Amino acid sequence: MAYPLQLGLQDATSPLMEELIQFHDHTLMIALLLSTMVFYTILTTVTTKLTNKNMLDSQGIETIWTIAPALILILIAMPSLRVLYMMDEVNNPHLTVKTIGHQWYWSYEYTDYKNLEFDSYMIPTQDLIPGQFRLLETDHRMVVPTDSPVRMLITADDVIHSWAVPTLGEKMDAIPGRLNQTTFVVSHPGVFYGQCSEICGANHSFMPISVEAIPLIHFEDWSTSMLAKI
Amino acid sequence: MSLQKPVMRGLLARRLRFHLPIAIAIGLTSAVSFKYMVTEPRKRAYAEYYKHYDVNKEFNAMREAGVFESVQPTGK
Repeated sequence: MAYPLQLGLQDATSPLMEELIQFHDHTLMIALLLSTMVFYTILTTVTTKLTNKNMLDSQGIETIWTIAPALILILIAMPSLRVLYMMDEVNNPHLTVKTIGHQWYWSYEYTDYKNLEFDSYMIPTQDLIPGQFRLLETDHRMVVPTDSPVRMLITADDVIHSWAVPTLGEKMDAIPGRLNQTTFVVSHPGVFYGQCSEICGANHSFMPISVEAIPLIHFEDWSTSMLAKI
Repeated sequence: MSLQKPVMRGLLARRLRFHLPIAIAIGLTSAVSFKYMVTEPRKRAYAEYYKHYDVNKEFNAMREAGVFESVQPTGK
């Protein structure tokens, strides 16, 4: 999850997010290469002792600095498209969860077998118990099994929201009248947090997402117990 | 005594011949350093983490610590 003074991306909890992190490292490496070259060029330009700067005959360099960026962009585009298509692969989900964004909470529906539905409100700061995270905890977590492809169908009830969980590499807009689909696999058990990522009113910052990933056998026990409660 | 005619051609090319290899070397050094100090260690860290990862052990540790709401610690 996020931590103070964090500079990079959160650690990955899904294979796709690992790919995204590697792509980000690749692109950042190229950006660093270009930035250092430009920085050196600027440094030499502003510190030169020559009073007449170099001019004229620029066809050569114009050609170089047109072709070189094109090649660099191809070097960035290839892994980019690879990850992009990987994100759209059909992976035969084991479970479908529907989530609906409301002002200002999320609701989850597990309707594959029976009708399990519940709302997920943020726990107010004054109601937190020690060890819980401010503005991230919810009264009911979305529970999913680990190592199982999960399909999310995302929509909204009123205004546009966005369902995002950074460590899973997930962000998808929740748009009223539209069903957006995304899939993910959670690599290991734990609790993972996200926040609404599309401005949706006064409490936009106070409708977090918390996903709890547990082994399949425990997930089945949980869904049975939740159905019994409702 | 007449002055030697100053060189007024090819100044950019001369400057580039000097500075471009240095700029490319600095750029490549920083890129390669980033690759071997950040990217590769990160890939190795992920591979190492999952190589001996025991799902049940980690799950049970988290369960006993009371992290989950869907599964209570054993004994509760």
